[in-house]
Amino acid sequence: MKNKIQKMFPNAYIPYGTWGCSYFPAWQTSPLAEVNIGQFAGEAMARIMNKRKVPVSNLDYLIIGSTVPWHFKFWNATVVANCMGKRLPGFQMEQACATGLQAVILAGAQVQSGASEAVGVLTFDRTSDSPVGVFPERRSYKRTEVLADVWDNFGFDPSTGKAMLNAAGFAARKYKIAKKEVDELTCYRYEQYFNAKESGFLNRVAFPFEILNVQGKSAGWVTEDAGVKKISIDALRAMRELDSCVTGGTQTHAADGMATLLVTTKEKAKQLSKKPEIEISFIAKTEVRTNPSLMPEAPALAVQKLLKQTGLTMKEIKVVKDHNPFAVNDAIFAKVMNYDWHKMNNTGSPLVFGHPQGPTLTRILMEALEEAVDLGGGYVLVFGCAAGDVGIASIFHVS
Amino acid sequence: MNSMRQSTLETLGLGTVLEIFQNGKLPVNTSELVDKVFGKPNNRGAIVISGANGIVGAGKVMQFASRLLPYNIPIIALDLPGAPDGIGKQYSGLQKAFGKEDADNIMKNIIRLTYDGKTLPDSLAAYKPKFLLEAIPEILELKKGHYELFRKKFPGITIYSVTSGFPSSQLGVNIAHPAFPHEINKIFEIVEDKPSAATQLLWSLGLIPVEVSDDWSFVLDVFFCGLMLAGLRYHEQTNTPFWKADKYIRQLVGPNPFRAHDAIGAKGANFLTWSCLYHLSKNYGALFTPTKDLDEHKDSGQNWYPLDHFRPMVNWSKDKDDDEILRTMILGPLFQMTSIMLKEKRSNLSSMNAIAELCAQFTKGLLAMARNLGTDEVINTVKKYHKLHPESAKTKWYPEEFKKINSPEWQQLYVNAEHDGKAGVITISRESYNSDVNDEINRAIDWLKKNKIRRVIVTSDFHLSTQMVGADTNEFFPAITEVKEGERIASTWSATARRLYNEFEISIGFVNGKRCMGGMLELMMHCHYLIADENTVFSMPEVTLPVVPGMEGCHWAIRKAKKEDRKYLLNMLLQGKQIKAKETVGWLADYSDSLENCLKKAWQIIQKGTSVLPLRKVDEKPLGKLPFDEKLLANANGMREAMKAITDCVEAACNTTLDKAVSIQAKHSADFMVTKLCRKGRVGSEYDKVMSN
Repeated sequence: MKNKIQKMFPNAYIPYGTWGCSYFPAWQTSPLAEVNIGQFAGEAMARIMNKRKVPVSNLDYLIIGSTVPWHFKFWNATVVANCMGKRLPGFQMEQACATGLQAVILAGAQVQSGASEAVGVLTFDRTSDSPVGVFPERRSYKRTEVLADVWDNFGFDPSTGKAMLNAAGFAARKYKIAKKEVDELTCYRYEQYFNAKESGFLNRVAFPFEILNVQGKSAGWVTEDAGVKKISIDALRAMRELDSCVTGGTQTHAADGMATLLVTTKEKAKQLSKKPEIEISFIAKTEVRTNPSLMPEAPALAVQKLLKQTGLTMKEIKVVKDHNPFAVNDAIFAKVMNYDWHKMNNTGSPLVFGHPQGPTLTRILMEALEEAVDLGGGYVLVFGCAAGDVGIASIFHVS
Repeated sequence: MNSMRQSTLETLGLGTVLEIFQNGKLPVNTSELVDKVFGKPNNRGAIVISGANGIVGAGKVMQFASRLLPYNIPIIALDLPGAPDGIGKQYSGLQKAFGKEDADNIMKNIIRLTYDGKTLPDSLAAYKPKFLLEAIPEILELKKGHYELFRKKFPGITIYSVTSGFPSSQLGVNIAHPAFPHEINKIFEIVEDKPSAATQLLWSLGLIPVEVSDDWSFVLDVFFCGLMLAGLRYHEQTNTPFWKADKYIRQLVGPNPFRAHDAIGAKGANFLTWSCLYHLSKNYGALFTPTKDLDEHKDSGQNWYPLDHFRPMVNWSKDKDDDEILRTMILGPLFQMTSIMLKEKRSNLSSMNAIAELCAQFTKGLLAMARNLGTDEVINTVKKYHKLHPESAKTKWYPEEFKKINSPEWQQLYVNAEHDGKAGVITISRESYNSDVNDEINRAIDWLKKNKIRRVIVTSDFHLSTQMVGADTNEFFPAITEVKEGERIASTWSATARRLYNEFEISIGFVNGKRCMGGMLELMMHCHYLIADENTVFSMPEVTLPVVPGMEGCHWAIRKAKKEDRKYLLNMLLQGKQIKAKETVGWLADYSDSLENCLKKAWQIIQKGTSVLPLRKVDEKPLGKLPFDEKLLANANGMREAMKAITDCVEAACNTTLDKAVSIQAKHSADFMVTKLCRKGRVGSEYDKVMSN
């Protein structure tokens, strides 16, 4: 590691190989569409830790991240911990699509502060059948508004009055991104995902789960990122543009799922990891908020800021992986950073495998860390956009 | 008198089973024992059960009230004024068991008194308390103060505590620790210097006292709490949720410890388990240390199973490695704990094994499991456990105890044999028939033959087994999917039964319990004579399960019956109903009367031979047309297919020679076992429930 680089949390580490996630089935395509996702996440985390040979009794804190309301959410991390089988303290945080990374950062801070020795990070969301309710609203002539949590928010940024999809088109126009490039980029992202899948890489992070119904009978298995199919460049080109450079193919899809990893002290990381010689540390993190309805440029701006903050250059980054709900994001990033988009997202990205919001960036991070280990270590850059025209970026180091 | 091993009856000071036959009567008389414990009728005292509204207290009030009613013993149910009523809610169960009139009479004899915990009610003296069964909370000082209170007011009162953990040496009173469920479980672990009149009275009243040594948690709660702890440590090691750990543990050894705690009442059960383990850990070490989860559940009283709104959602499955961890984490500590109990000689081995089955719901007792695994495997399992839980390695562990597995005490856990040089008895202490019983009967036969015994009585042990309920259906699980397994079980067990007929000059199946059914009845009917207490009922319930009898029940008794009597046996097979033994005399039983007369008759036959009672011979030829009740078959409704399968088996097995019938019967039984009908039935459903993951 460069001498000049200071670690943001020198006492916090991610024990290698103690992570895992469910697959991310597209919304309404799996039994996850009908579960209490908080309960599922808690139980799934216990199972993943079982497979990783990590007794959850090692944990002393739980940070959960989720963006879509779930039943009993008021009880936040405590009830999820109970579903995991341990009565841990903790809290729930959310930051739209940045949740999956922000939760990890918060866990790092928790360990760095000395308050905890081993923190579980558990992010999850169910976009299928999100809660629909009524809300008293004096300004409405009906006095009451019907709420559909996921779709209301996808379709309307209350700060700008615009939909996310329009932000993608707006940003694409600002950067003069051509649909041709976006289609090619998308096609390449699909190739990357299916190459990783066929190589068995996904099995290193994603676990299959059998879901039980209330009678205790099998309601089915979640064994893949259901709904993801190979796509050709011709098919992408033929798709109708919903806004500039945005088609059904060049944007992600809503999905359900969970992801978990641990953040611990150095000693605990060595104790829990099956490969204690691998050390994963927190280097830096930043966020930016860009101008209204330019969310897809925000990640690039965040990375710019982060590199300046750390003194690192893109050449020094071994693995680059982002949350790209729109393919436009990657095209803009490449343009702003003068970086070849072919070199990033080597093992897949949410544009392809789907976007269950809360856990998306957690899965990206663990895939990036696995890739870095394969490459012999180095700096790992993980970034993405979030509602409110926010960009978040973070750098980790694998040695 | 020679015996393969000590009879458990002897541990109660009641002599041997052979002596019961020789004397033609039971070793003690209930009325005399009542007089000894409660005084003569003109000075009869009461039994006081304190903590009578608790789970244990209320259950014992019911057991004693129903059994002591004929002897005019007042049952004083004593508790604190605010204790929620635990006795009233027993009434519906009493009605079911005894009918309204008897239930009312039993309740009439229960006198409920309250006290403030510090002074006894003045009215108590009027009932002349002679015996106190203390069932108050498991707090040592509280218990001691309670005894002091009674001793001051009623010097000379006999006191027994139901404590699940404190030794007699700590409490200063004898122990009568009962097993759950307290209304119906007849077993009491007894700690006393020598078998007392009170203990013999329990036996005489049809309860099952088992003498154990004065060590922390005795035997039952080392198994019960030990298994819970093993389950907790397995959970801790693997994160397996409690409900799934239960499922795996049930498949492996039988009970589901977490469910059991919830069923008993988590608040009380968690505390008792914690208390037993805590004191064991203080006296023995970390092998018994309660886990954090148990500490937490002890304090909160919370259930182990998720609440309804969080019914389990993520299923778990296990691969070979997971299975190895499970076996190690569950069996390892249990074997180590067992080694301590063996070293301390906490009880007769047969009793220890039976306690695990009858009280802790193990499919097979821990000793039987260890014996079947073999010394090396047991020792290796504990070694592997110590790697996963190194703290336990610092606790006592006596591997040498498992090196005695070949001794008769180990080899004859369920079946004993005694002889006086001329006649012998084979006693079975397990209520259901399984492969262990089968093997042990064979060893008992070999032993008797080696001792040149030609006349034998096959019976229960007059102690641990109070009925003969048939085959252990767990044994059939391999046969649900494998025809060969079904054939193997049926033909192996039938071969054993035939030995009773072929290898003795005279064999008598002697039934003295409440009932004799299915596989056990098939075994007993192979004897030259079948003698049964007049209160015994017989049945062949296979058609209701449904399964096809596999131990020659479809032809053996029919071959012995007169032509005109065969219809009774056929109806018995096709209806599955219970029939009083007395009503079957001549076509199934050879003699049925009062227990004493049955004992005498059996011994006369043994002494004097077949002149005492005509011997019904087995017709070895094909029997020809059989008198099936066509109306019965026509109106079979839900049982039609099962009846047809049994009818086919009967036809085939009866219409061949005796030597060929055994394999025909086994084949029919095994073929039926893999059918959808069997799978949907009781055995198949149980298999699916227990074995599915």
